[in-house]
Amino acid sequence: MEQPAESRGRIMVVDDDPDTVAVLSHYLRREGFTPVEAGSGADCIRILADVGPVDVILLDLMMPDMDGFAVCRALKRNPVTAEIPIIMVTARDDLDARTEGIRQGISDFLAKPVLRKQLGNRIIAQLDIVEAAKVAAQALDRLSRGKAAP
Amino acid sequence: MSEGAPISLSFRTESILTAPPPPELIALIGEHPTVVKLRALVERVAPSDVTVLITGESGTGKEVVARAIHESSPRRSRPFIPVNCAAIPHDLLESEMFGHQRGAFSGAAGARAGLFTAASLGTIFLDEIGEMPASLQAKLLRVLEDGVVRAVGADRGVKLDVRVIAASNANLAELVSRGAFREDLFYRLQVVPIMIPPLRDRRSDIPLLVNYFLERCRARRAIPTPRPSDATMVQLWSYDWPGNVRELENLVERLVILCDGDIIEPVLLPPNLFKVTVNGTAPIDDIPAILGDKGVDLNAIVRKLEGRLINQALQQVGGNKQAAARLLGLKRTTFAAKLRRCGVLAPPESDLT
Repeated sequence: MEQPAESRGRIMVVDDDPDTVAVLSHYLRREGFTPVEAGSGADCIRILADVGPVDVILLDLMMPDMDGFAVCRALKRNPVTAEIPIIMVTARDDLDARTEGIRQGISDFLAKPVLRKQLGNRIIAQLDIVEAAKVAAQALDRLSRGKAAP
Repeated sequence: MSEGAPISLSFRTESILTAPPPPELIALIGEHPTVVKLRALVERVAPSDVTVLITGESGTGKEVVARAIHESSPRRSRPFIPVNCAAIPHDLLESEMFGHQRGAFSGAAGARAGLFTAASLGTIFLDEIGEMPASLQAKLLRVLEDGVVRAVGADRGVKLDVRVIAASNANLAELVSRGAFREDLFYRLQVVPIMIPPLRDRRSDIPLLVNYFLERCRARRAIPTPRPSDATMVQLWSYDWPGNVRELENLVERLVILCDGDIIEPVLLPPNLFKVTVNGTAPIDDIPAILGDKGVDLNAIVRKLEGRLINQALQQVGGNKQAAARLLGLKRTTFAAKLRRCGVLAPPESDLT
């Protein structure tokens, strides 16, 4: 998984439909992100274990074998992946799915069909808040070492 | 989303008996990893004297964080002076902040101490610091560097011990790159940056915040408070909250008053919660904003939009068709025809639980 220096972030796309994965990856690449493709829930978990964490996961809900919720539970249980923001892709009016997603601690939803502008905005929101956490952690670190100035 | 998890809002203080209770840190309630780190940072930075720069959109609770830092610091028994740099006219800001001598300018009949003097041994909170005029930015930088405050018209300055906490809702770094804010002052202020994220970036905390505000209402009024239905929670979760935590707090308080049952249904939510917002989060977000390469089925989209708005109108007025027609600016007969054509669904609250 090579990552160009100028990449805006590594975004994993998890969907059992190869066409969807290809379309989303193409868009992500064009917007300057580095897509990481996974064709199933098991694939997602295996790739994360093999190549390390990504910045955001776009997770389809409806997948055979391991659905989005099962993937989400597995990721949240593992301390290495627990804090990776998950954006779940669901049908717009699926109230039960959204309620369950909220309970499971997912970070955001995207409605199908996915719109380009929205996809970009949602991903950037997640990257921004992770960045805010990094800034806070660095400031804490500086304070702990008794060095206030950057 | 456990509502039972205790939220630690109070800071460790050395002398609890003499300290006023710390303000509710509603800006930093939550379990989002970023918020957890920010709470740790606020606790860590409070007892020191370092300058802090708080950034965040309006309603994220910047002043609340500043007050909490002050209340948890050894300065807590000294003044906390908030100054909104955007609210004071530019030509008055300098004398307001630093004071003036008698006759320093026309109208300066007597000498007057500034807000920095008023904040002596305490904390001054400079809100909307990005609005500060360039001349004053230079003066503030000198104050931060040597602690000497010089009143307008005075020959000499006075050394003061004041902690400075600044805040901005604009992206100060961007103002710096545009040349609208001094770079040296920016770095001097940003010794400890506290970036409060907008609520829409940490939606996973919304249920916890809603429960916190409901619980607070219950405690204050000593009456049972309603709880939101799943559909209401999903709607609250999906909204973009341009007014951030403050907007959510106000809405929950209003919902408690409006609701006369045990369950808060979506019908009680204000119409703006159903509107399309900048990030396209609201319910009609599958209607394309951009015409893609493949084109669209305009008729289908228009039908969909019509259906949604008709549904919302019916929801808002509790199913009264005449009132819904008025809300949409339609004649009752036109409305009825559209209703037949769209085959509008029952209001969403009917397919709950």
